[in-house]
Amino acid sequence: MLYELNNLKKIYGKRTVLDLPHLSVEAGRIVGLLGPNGAGKTTLLEMFAFLSEPTSGEVWFRGKRVDHENNRIQDLRRRVVIVQQHPIMFTVTVEKNLEFPLNIRKISKQRRKQVIDELLDLVGMGGFKQARAHNLSGGETQRIAIARALACSPEVILFDEPTASVDVENQIAIERIVREINQEKNISVIFTTHDMNQAARLTDEIVFLFEGRLAQSTYENIFSGQILPGEKGEPYCAFG
Amino acid sequence: MQFLLDSFYSALLLLWSVNPELVNVVSVSLKVSSSSTIIASLVGIPVGFLIAFREFPGKRLLITVLNTLLALPTVVIGLFVYAFISRRGILGVLNLLYTQKAMVIGQVILIVPIITVFTISAISRIDERYRKTAMTLGANALQTAWVIIREARFAIMAAVIASFGRVIAEVGISMMLGGNAKGFTRTMTTAMALEYDKGEFVLGVALGIVLLAISFGLNIFFNYIQGRARV
Repeated sequence: MLYELNNLKKIYGKRTVLDLPHLSVEAGRIVGLLGPNGAGKTTLLEMFAFLSEPTSGEVWFRGKRVDHENNRIQDLRRRVVIVQQHPIMFTVTVEKNLEFPLNIRKISKQRRKQVIDELLDLVGMGGFKQARAHNLSGGETQRIAIARALACSPEVILFDEPTASVDVENQIAIERIVREINQEKNISVIFTTHDMNQAARLTDEIVFLFEGRLAQSTYENIFSGQILPGEKGEPYCAFG
Repeated sequence: MQFLLDSFYSALLLLWSVNPELVNVVSVSLKVSSSSTIIASLVGIPVGFLIAFREFPGKRLLITVLNTLLALPTVVIGLFVYAFISRRGILGVLNLLYTQKAMVIGQVILIVPIITVFTISAISRIDERYRKTAMTLGANALQTAWVIIREARFAIMAAVIASFGRVIAEVGISMMLGGNAKGFTRTMTTAMALEYDKGEFVLGVALGIVLLAISFGLNIFFNYIQGRARV
């Protein structure tokens, strides 16, 4: 099992933003976290990234209990990476942004260059190596952020609403990249979204959150349509 | 008016002839001010970062005290340091009074609050997501701190340049702790004050021109760096 959460609570002041008696996530899958604003999706994602400590309860990662007091939390952080909804680019070039996690991991200069070129090609941003990262559009920033996350060679990538503020072209590109990351690089993917269609298209499993709790979802009608009789009397479904 | 123009003309001639006294005064000024700015930056930037980044009891009070110290008059610092380093002071045995080291000590006290306060302000304005991004990319505490300081670099650089401007233009500390000794502790501002007392304006005006030119040069350099980074 990739993650197991037991009796997990996160409380800010007097507000309980997460209250999860039990949640488990299998490795190697694409998991969607669905829920309205304020459901606790981002908070849960930050728990998965070991950036936020639960107020109470346990987080288990690959069969080992996560201890935020322990110095080894940084080692865990290097195995999981989060791509935020509005990713932050450091105010240097695209190349330097991608180089940051590689430098931290003490990758040789020659290998760094090779990895950067490969990743920029993967996200379709090959010509942007020397561009100033903070001058990119929303969709381009998102793609560079994905490349930078992949430079970490993570076991898990967490996306916080990866296509929330991008155009259709970038949305298609990002969805393709997410599939490739999962299928070709065998990286587990967890992402939050409001878009049920997207969740249905991309995920192996969907977790519904509502007001910080797991919500049971019946089969959702994500398309609207009517059942109409056909020319020979057989029924057919007319969408829209 | 004619008198001012004459002084200005004579000052330009003095600058053109590279007058040794003028060169000495300018070099002492630059040496003392650069030293104090470097030392104050090495203290003020990390302290400002820690204050901005950490939550601890009394944080607001500390920031209020630092803000108050921004208005500290140079003569008060001069008196304070004098009390310690004069012969009767507890540091009297070190024979620091009327040396460049004494001037540096006073100037560091003057500008550490400036650099600290502006670093706190610069770091506090950096989006929390920079910290989280650095951490999720695998950075340790030191590497995360470096990312944040790098993002706040222009504001911090502005604080350092403002502090250098403050010390190179101050008179009180240099006069009280340096003693305005010719060739040793005479700076541009103390020399200008002396020339004024003597009624000799030529060297004073020449030094004023140098002082303004240094300030202008620093600002051009700062704008150039900012411009390069934002292209």
